[in-house]
Amino acid sequence: MTRRSRPGTTQGTAGTVPVGWLRRGAIGLALLTLVLYPVLRPDAAYPQTVLLMAFLLAIMAVSWNIISGYAGYISLGHSAFLGLGAYTAGILSVRWGINPLYLVPAGGLVAMITAVAVGSVVLRARGHAFVIITIALLLALQVCAVNFAGITNGSDGITLPLPSWPRDLQNVPFYYIFLALLVATVGFSAWIRRTKFGTGLVAIREDEGKAAAIGVSTTVYKVLGYAASAVFIGMAGAVYAYFLTFLNPIGAFSIVVSVTIVLAALLGGRGTLWGPVVGAFVVQGVSELATVQSGATGGRLVLLGAALMLVVLFLPAGLVPTLASLGSRRRGRGGAVEYLDQAAALQVRPLEVRQRHWPDAPADAGGRDAQPLLEVRGAVRRFGGLVAVDGVSLTVAEGSVTGLIGPNGSGKTTLFNLVTGAISLGRGEIWCAGERIDRLPPWRRAHRGLGRTFQVTRLFAGMTVLENVVAPLPQFRWRSLAADAVSGPEAARARELLDFVGLARFADQAAGTLSYGQQKLVELAQVLMLEPRLILLDEPAGGVNPSLVERIAAIVRDLNRQGITFLVVEHNIPLVLRLCDPVAVLSAGRLIAQGPPDLVRADPVVLEAYLGVDEAGFEPASGSGRGTTGESG
Amino acid sequence: MAQLVQAILLGLLIGGVYALMASGLTLIFGVMRIINVAQGAFLVLVAYLTWWIWSRTGTDPILLSLVMVPLMFGAGWLLYHGVFRRIRGSTPSMSVLLSFGLAILIEGALGLTAGTRFRSATPSYFDESFRVGSLALPKAQLYGCAAAVLVLGLLYAVLNRTWAGRAIRATAENPSGAALVGISASSVAALAFAIGTATAGVGGAVLAVLYPFFPASHYDWISRLLGIIVLGGMGSLPGALLGALVLGMAETLTATYGSLRWSTLVFYIVIVAVLLLRPHGIFGARLREDG
Repeated sequence: MTRRSRPGTTQGTAGTVPVGWLRRGAIGLALLTLVLYPVLRPDAAYPQTVLLMAFLLAIMAVSWNIISGYAGYISLGHSAFLGLGAYTAGILSVRWGINPLYLVPAGGLVAMITAVAVGSVVLRARGHAFVIITIALLLALQVCAVNFAGITNGSDGITLPLPSWPRDLQNVPFYYIFLALLVATVGFSAWIRRTKFGTGLVAIREDEGKAAAIGVSTTVYKVLGYAASAVFIGMAGAVYAYFLTFLNPIGAFSIVVSVTIVLAALLGGRGTLWGPVVGAFVVQGVSELATVQSGATGGRLVLLGAALMLVVLFLPAGLVPTLASLGSRRRGRGGAVEYLDQAAALQVRPLEVRQRHWPDAPADAGGRDAQPLLEVRGAVRRFGGLVAVDGVSLTVAEGSVTGLIGPNGSGKTTLFNLVTGAISLGRGEIWCAGERIDRLPPWRRAHRGLGRTFQVTRLFAGMTVLENVVAPLPQFRWRSLAADAVSGPEAARARELLDFVGLARFADQAAGTLSYGQQKLVELAQVLMLEPRLILLDEPAGGVNPSLVERIAAIVRDLNRQGITFLVVEHNIPLVLRLCDPVAVLSAGRLIAQGPPDLVRADPVVLEAYLGVDEAGFEPASGSGRGTTGESG
Repeated sequence: MAQLVQAILLGLLIGGVYALMASGLTLIFGVMRIINVAQGAFLVLVAYLTWWIWSRTGTDPILLSLVMVPLMFGAGWLLYHGVFRRIRGSTPSMSVLLSFGLAILIEGALGLTAGTRFRSATPSYFDESFRVGSLALPKAQLYGCAAAVLVLGLLYAVLNRTWAGRAIRATAENPSGAALVGISASSVAALAFAIGTATAGVGGAVLAVLYPFFPASHYDWISRLLGIIVLGGMGSLPGALLGALVLGMAETLTATYGSLRWSTLVFYIVIVAVLLLRPHGIFGARLREDG
């Protein structure tokens, strides 16, 4: 109930406006200086070349940042795309006798195609194979460049034509080309960050499983992110070949360049827009000094390696974010945490549920014809020796609120994960609205109207509440990748949903600062954004303030009345008995009972499962033990 | 036919050595989720030390691993406590970058102190072979493989028969569970890191005899080893063994029926083919991806 008159955001924006202008001014001034530099100092050939190399490094670091900063998948072989672009321009310009600059688009294209091909193989799985394959890609390309001597001229390398312009211009044209490419790359990266595609990449970095559950087609996103991070480097590679006028396999596919890219982006600030640019200028400057001072490659490597280790150990966030947080601390803008407005949260505000048109839907949308919406047939899932789900068959009728109870470890959450595709099904089938879905990836199931919440909330802690609610994608469309991350109608709908769960005034706070119960409600709003027909709630009342339990029950009833089907896992038995019909009971991976709540409550098999298997269990009929704690409010 | 048997035999011998080299990498990954990209640099570092002592004293290079193992064990223990422990709890990608920095540091330091010429330890038997019928078994490969099998056996015994080994396996399987039954995560991690690094003590000594090397060779080695563990399934010791044998075969078979310079590429193609069919590698258990 603090500061009712002022929403949490104004204090934040009040400070950022002048800072934003300051930053924009500084960037404009720096760009202007760089543009004018060769005009003002036409004879300074050496500094021009150093700057030019800094531009190239910055192009690569900004590009790298798209896959490794935004999406969090580290590439250690990113100079592969520089080499690909360079070799494309080198081979074709010699063969066709044309100026390599005409081949810049070809360089970008080859790099992009390679990234898509490699990404489609490696990025299907989650985990750490990607980083390894990126190193392998670089070395494999080196081997190819040596071995396909007929095309690449092997270790002897390729000599390109000399620049076509007068000699006294020296490298000035290259200077401007690289500068233009850098501006384009930064613009591209900034644009990506503002789109749905960019938000999806960040969601993948923060929590890939959750991203898939809310409809982000993670594989497509990752592969596209990898391609987007390759294309400008490939283009720069074509220019670089012309600049060097000589290419050989070791130089073009250089692992040292890869490390320099990583170091630059990391030093400046991984995942930020300007960090990689700042880092590239710092790294290029220092390495130039080191080369002038020592000259030996060994010395440069020692410096590079030590710098990388030191940055990882002591400055993992990078220069730009670290300085920014120092600055904001000095100005004294700590985000004040607001507390839940209990009175407002407990008011039920009406919400009109949006249902998409499902092709199989009966004529009257809300009709309760008890047709099964979800059907699990003989589902089996093992983890090593443990059979977590052992031949479960379960149906959820359209329009019902089906309860799923059972002692701890009986397989409830595993069953949820099987239905949503978070883990793969061992044996059996899962059908949703007459379509078999157990082979579909999680996001395709989300697109078919399957939404879920998690037992322990999984919001994207770094994003604001509003960004979290806007993140889900009810369907995959290529067009929507380029759409604004937070568009007008979506933001309006998200605010409606936040209003519905009573949290609208937190819209601009970082989701991580909210209390657990609040996060549960935000997660529910997030799921509603999917316009689902079936919502799987995993312990909606678990760990939630008792006064909020009733609120959640009311929300579920309200949504159900408007046609959304629910499958609810819950330990608060009295709540389940009041809310759900029918109720299904799992024990040790098997379905032991299913039926109306009163019948299930009296079933001796169910009583035995609770009392006999789980020693710390409780007796559902009398409502003693754990069941009541959530109810006491 | 004899040619095929010869190639397979050689592949098995080389594969044994690869298995040893990859075992340390997969052990460290299994326990700590650290992809130690510096493992290749450790191998080359040990190879240089071995070569240096051998050229000064004439001691048998493979026997020198008796010195290198404790040395690398200590180095690994210190490295863990001094460096890698600091990034406990951060994402695996940070550990990749950290060890990559370390690898480059070692490469640079070797370049400064030992120069960038190719080296190779050549004891008297390095180009001799045992002959069995029409088959030739190069002595160096045989001794190297024997050392590797011995160490792998030892590693297996340590992991399965000792309390410390069981603690390592428990931590790899379930870190929080292991912590609950009184296993100190930090000392187990230090131990696993030290053992993983110590395997490079034998691997590097064998490498010094079998292959010419120079400071930048570590890229070549680490990419082979990483390929092996990706192929086998990351963190799986049997997977590493299988992956190593596949790599050994791929190399000798391509060298016999094609040309050695394609063998690396053939191996990468095998990896891509396997990943297409099994995205998590041959023995790679899908990690539980539920929250």
